[in-house]
Amino acid sequence: MQRRHLLTAAGAAAMFPAILPRRGARAQGTTKASLRLKWLPQTQFAGFYLAKARGYYEAEGIDLTINPGGPNLLTENLVATGADTFGLSGGTDSVFAAREKNLPIVCIGVSHQQTPFVFVSRADGPIRTIQDFKGKTITTWYTGANSVLLGMLAKAGLKPGDFTMQPQQVSVTPFVDGQIDVVTATRYNEFYTLMTRMGRDKLRTFAPEEQGIVFPRDTLIVSETTARQKPELVKGFLRASMKGWREALKDQKAGVDVVMAAAPTLNRDHQEFMLVEAGKLMTAGAAARDGLFWIDQATVKSAHDFFLEHGVIKAPLDLAAAYDRSFLEAIAVADRRA
Amino acid sequence: MPVCAHPVPPWLLMGARFILGLVAAALLWEGAVIAFGIRPHILPRLSTILSAIAATPGAYWSGFLRTLLETLIGFAAGAIVGVLNGVMFFRAPVLRDLLFPIFVVSQTIPVIAFGALVVLWFGNTLLAKAVIAFYLTFFPVTVNTLLGLQSVDPRQTALLRSFGASGRQQMLRLQLPMALPQIFVALRLAASLSLVGAIVGEWFGDTTGLGVLLLQAMYNENVVGLWAAILCAAVLGTGFYALVAYAERRIVFWGAEQ
Amino acid sequence: MSRRALRGVLGIALLLILWEGVARGFALPSYTLPSVSEILLSVWRQRQLLASAAWFTMAEALAGYAIGCVAGIGIAVLLSLLPPVRRGMMPAMMAINSVPVAAWSPLLLLWLGVGIASKIAAVALAVGFTVFLSALAGLDRVDRRTIGLMRSFGAGPLSILWRLRLPTALPLIASGMRVSTVRSLIVAIVTEMLGAYGGLGWIIYQAVVQIDFVSVWSAILVASALSLAFFGLIGAIERRVVFWR
Repeated sequence: MQRRHLLTAAGAAAMFPAILPRRGARAQGTTKASLRLKWLPQTQFAGFYLAKARGYYEAEGIDLTINPGGPNLLTENLVATGADTFGLSGGTDSVFAAREKNLPIVCIGVSHQQTPFVFVSRADGPIRTIQDFKGKTITTWYTGANSVLLGMLAKAGLKPGDFTMQPQQVSVTPFVDGQIDVVTATRYNEFYTLMTRMGRDKLRTFAPEEQGIVFPRDTLIVSETTARQKPELVKGFLRASMKGWREALKDQKAGVDVVMAAAPTLNRDHQEFMLVEAGKLMTAGAAARDGLFWIDQATVKSAHDFFLEHGVIKAPLDLAAAYDRSFLEAIAVADRRA
Repeated sequence: MPVCAHPVPPWLLMGARFILGLVAAALLWEGAVIAFGIRPHILPRLSTILSAIAATPGAYWSGFLRTLLETLIGFAAGAIVGVLNGVMFFRAPVLRDLLFPIFVVSQTIPVIAFGALVVLWFGNTLLAKAVIAFYLTFFPVTVNTLLGLQSVDPRQTALLRSFGASGRQQMLRLQLPMALPQIFVALRLAASLSLVGAIVGEWFGDTTGLGVLLLQAMYNENVVGLWAAILCAAVLGTGFYALVAYAERRIVFWGAEQ
Repeated sequence: MSRRALRGVLGIALLLILWEGVARGFALPSYTLPSVSEILLSVWRQRQLLASAAWFTMAEALAGYAIGCVAGIGIAVLLSLLPPVRRGMMPAMMAINSVPVAAWSPLLLLWLGVGIASKIAAVALAVGFTVFLSALAGLDRVDRRTIGLMRSFGAGPLSILWRLRLPTALPLIASGMRVSTVRSLIVAIVTEMLGAYGGLGWIIYQAVVQIDFVSVWSAILVASALSLAFFGLIGAIERRVVFWR
């Protein structure tokens, strides 16, 4: 394990140049930067890929590398340490968690204005209302969705002992095979799999919004250092990303094509569906008026209070420091709208 | 190839048998899936898998090459460092006593747990994957080099020394050659382990590689894609292993005689 | 304690001191490298959680290990008794073995689900092949002349297997089993990290998501200690059973 220390030293040496030369490179007009996604390449991120392919980041003087995410990788961590400049991270939940753990990151935009996941039961099964979750087995992600579910069920008058909640990973097959009663599905991913395997009319959905809970996800983050020292870089990144997304949502074929070029083994039908769903989530709520990536402070506040109430975060956070809307506000509203 | 005296050269015969075996296995696979009505969710037909590869050959080919490169770098680094470690431990028992337990402990750590750290330290570079492959391979090579060196008959060393051979000459002329059979046993193991390292290394936010294809297929519940990636990994694994085993037969041909 | 063991302890102690010094000296944040004392403290604080997770993982690893050993030795013995079957099967076995467990894990998860079955299967696969290959090598080590001699005394294949082949193969089988101990735990943890209901790998996965890196290191420390203990146990049994080596 001694070598690990050597590696730390070597790693630190390798890491800092990644941050330092930017100032030097700036004189020549382009800044090197990277965007760490929250997951593997898919059309959930089409706008970023399209903006890069069409040279919008370059036009803003940014030489952007898009790094995919994956399991066991945490975007907040990579952005906080400077390994990546920008991050599309988990969501309001992971930003809260990171801020609570003193990771120096700032949210500069929110991609999905609505909760991107729903809880799904069988349409022909015994679960018709949320009260029917009583005594049933539910699987969900223990990364925030579990608290949303607990909150929804609490509002419906169910206590944690009234149902069985299990972690969900990898596959929706247990639900398809009838081993569990309720499954959690993102509107763009698992729900598509469920539809293709069971048919849309066989599924009944329960959205957190129906219980008055909104849980925005897919947050854009930078480190506090970047936010402080390079506001122009952040604004340029946002402008270019918005342009990419606007065009990806208008010309969905181009959006799907650019992602399929990055990951050719993906299923095209699924990716087309995903882009439509991602577009709905991105233009919902306040984004319709205030534009893409808009940070709706009221929604963030209510999500924060919800998590605080359920003990997911232990103490109130400084939301103004965690969610910085100034970069978005520096861009004209007309340029922000999808 | 030089002209052979035999009507059918043995390598051709071997090759023909190998291909025949492959065809038989492929037919068996295809036939079994159809005959037993195995659900495609469990095991798709081989033809389905092959046509999935044929649909996007570029993705699989570039993934194959990328993983191959990482495997080779990790293997080479692990082999070199492993042999050097073994020699160092053999020469300096104090160092061996001090470091060996640490090496043993290091091997009990699931490297995947440190994926995020590796990305933090090395970025999304080829190097990061090669480091993981290296981490898995250097230890077996170290152990076997040490064992091989220790098994050299001290009387032979004493004889060589009495002829005035320097420590380096003893090492290069006698001890290392004598340890080679043992070292190769570890190298064969290292060939498989470096592939594991490369694939697992690619699970941490990479863009190309067989590991990326595996992960993508798993999370999309794309069983055909999963099998396609597994097939590529099998070809890579078998090929590399065979290469090392071939080198072993050529280099330590005396191994059995001594 | 022998001088060698003392030096080993010294080496590890030096490393830990260096680690603590680097972590504190450079004031590294815990997401880069937590200090040893921080990790130990966290292990103590979470001892109940870690102990139950360790038990969960160990149970998976042990079950898979037992299945893998039995299957590995069994198939090796069977194939050594039936040379034609062996010739036909070996290429397929080698092909399956050349695919890293890391590549089988995702498939096993899709097949068997996120529960313990997929972990046990992955461990059994990894352990099984290691033990199978070393058992086969051990069974092949027998001196042909001795077999000839036993045959001339009228011994059948089963008797040769029991009296000669297995005892000769035992040291290699034992070493294969010893090497597999560490692998069994690592494979269980790796598969848990891809999807599980519990265990050390699950804790690591959750801790990464919740940005709790001290917990990641704590779980790794426990996993490492567990591997060493398992390795030591099988090693001790090996020394007793294969004492004549």
